[in-house]
Amino acid sequence: MSELALIIEDDEDLASIFAEALRGVGFSIEIIADGRAAEERLKNGVAPFLILLDMHLPYISGADLLTNIIKKDERFKQTAVIITTADARMGEAYTDQVDFVMIKPISFIQLRDLTSRLKPRS
Amino acid sequence: MTSFSRFLAISTADPDDTRRRRILNILVASIGILSLLAILVSLAAVFFERLRWENVNLIIIGSSVTILGMLIVYLINIFWSGKVAATVFLVFLTVVFAFSDTPEQVAGGRSLFGFAIPIIMASILLTPWFSFVFSTISGLIISVIALSISHFPNLPAVIGFFVIALVSWLSARSLEQALRELRQINANLDQVVIERTGALAESLERERIEAGRSQAILNSIADGVVVFDTEWNAIMANPALRSMLDLPLDQIVDKNFRDLIAHPHLSSRSRNLLQAMMEHDTQPPSFRIEWDQKTLSISAAQVYDYSKDRYTNIGTVTVFRDFTREAEVEKLKSTFVAIVSHELRTPLNAILGYAEMFKEEVYGPMNDKQVNMAERIMKNTQRLLGLINDLLDQAQMEAGKLTIQMGPIRPAELLENIHSVMDKIAYDKGLKLTSEIDDQLPEVLNGDAARLQQIMVNLVNNGIKFTSHGTVHIRLFSLYAGKWGIEVSDTGSGIPESEIPYIFDTFRQVEGTATRVHGGFGLGLSIVKQLVGLMNGEITVKSIMNVGSKFTIALPLVIPEQSPQKWSIG
Repeated sequence: MSELALIIEDDEDLASIFAEALRGVGFSIEIIADGRAAEERLKNGVAPFLILLDMHLPYISGADLLTNIIKKDERFKQTAVIITTADARMGEAYTDQVDFVMIKPISFIQLRDLTSRLKPRS
Repeated sequence: MTSFSRFLAISTADPDDTRRRRILNILVASIGILSLLAILVSLAAVFFERLRWENVNLIIIGSSVTILGMLIVYLINIFWSGKVAATVFLVFLTVVFAFSDTPEQVAGGRSLFGFAIPIIMASILLTPWFSFVFSTISGLIISVIALSISHFPNLPAVIGFFVIALVSWLSARSLEQALRELRQINANLDQVVIERTGALAESLERERIEAGRSQAILNSIADGVVVFDTEWNAIMANPALRSMLDLPLDQIVDKNFRDLIAHPHLSSRSRNLLQAMMEHDTQPPSFRIEWDQKTLSISAAQVYDYSKDRYTNIGTVTVFRDFTREAEVEKLKSTFVAIVSHELRTPLNAILGYAEMFKEEVYGPMNDKQVNMAERIMKNTQRLLGLINDLLDQAQMEAGKLTIQMGPIRPAELLENIHSVMDKIAYDKGLKLTSEIDDQLPEVLNGDAARLQQIMVNLVNNGIKFTSHGTVHIRLFSLYAGKWGIEVSDTGSGIPESEIPYIFDTFRQVEGTATRVHGGFGLGLSIVKQLVGLMNGEITVKSIMNVGSKFTIALPLVIPEQSPQKWSIG
């Protein structure tokens, strides 16, 4: 069974592009469109192999999700985290806490190449 | 005493004449009084039978004649001429002396001395040389009297008269000279006093007009102005401040600034700012406070008075400007910028992503034309994204929101990043992007990596845009003491010399038509220049037409305090 990638992104088009890129690399995809749903999913669901987290989400920001759940919960210790943001300044502030920071606009090709490197060869 | 003074006083245009006639009056009055006393004493002696009438009748007649003579002299002196009066007086005296004694005594004895009196007086009462006239008259009189009693004229006495006349003449002349000089000095002094008084009156008037004008200006100024002394007591405030703060002026003027700071209309942040303004000698050029519903911009300046060769601080003038509307506009603008930032970039990102998916044939094979079209969509979307980024940066810079965040940077990494972003763009245009790092440059520097990257991307982009074949070259180097440099050179079309002064202007492209050929708003170099400015650096450009352009940035060289090893592991 392929590794699970969780895409937390409120823009439908971007989510679908990211999904296509990750699917191309061989991930199975789960898309969540807002902060509250993401919180629910992170707390209760199974820990994914990769989380692609948008920092600007409705209800609960990606930054809060990162700090309060992903970084605190032991279950996400092995999970690779990529954050996406349009704010380069904000992205810089998180470089130490996550595996990658991607500044929007995010290229389909770039994302596909990056995640293909993260994925364990099976 | 006053009436006696008035009795003696004479007023004429010539001060010398006045002086002489006054002296004559004094003499005339004195002699008159003495004569009167002589008559009274004589009459008293007869009355008390100490002397007999025969002994005193000559005294009484003589004194009466003298009083009459003096009265005539006085009247001539007052109503006609001082000179005539003095001449009559002196002739009278001389005649009195000539007949006051026996001819022997007058010609050669004790009475000779009497003649000295009119000779001396002539120099004082008439012009100085008149003493010679009277010495001659006196000499003639004593000679005639001597001859009349068959004596030889007393030559030593005559010579003596002339000697007295000479001394009198000299003394009177120097006295008059001294008086004249004194009068001249007085006159000059008067002139000076008149001039000074005039100037003072003029300057007082000017000051009054000036003060009135300043007050009128202050009153009609739209900004609120309040002036504090060195103890921060408000000395004056204008009506605009009253309406701005909605406080009566008497709650501002003559009150200490601390009372105003304690006002509940101020937010605590504003209170701290005002407190800081009061406590520090150096104030920021201007800052904003919130007063009730208003935003006020405040600028304060120390007032110095220059006197006695030094400047003394005499207080602070503080200007309040109503900034409420501007603050609202700024807030709207930054909200707008944030919305544009998100709302424009997200769909563009989607367009870019879908175009890439076409190009990568995610949904099945595409023919060459379709791939080419996808590439064009990608290229144009990226251009649009670049423009939006430039506009946002410009907006942020205008709002003063773009800040520099210093941290350790590795020049080698900077170049790596640039290559990873720009290599393909250069390659696609058939150009080479090369780079080098000067050996002298420290491995780790202090700087804002993201902004330096932005600067270099902008410059390299610019180079690529205006170069049709050849190379774009980046060089990082140690410039000179305390500076390091970034140099981006190209082999492009170059910039006309006349355009060089303007290339860093906002919304400017060389020749104006370049926008159509090369695209862009002309914001790139303007942003670069502003960013370099924020980093306390300088940017210069050299260009030769059809040979190429070279942009050089000089930045302050700051080496991080931490040991370089800590940062050397990428």
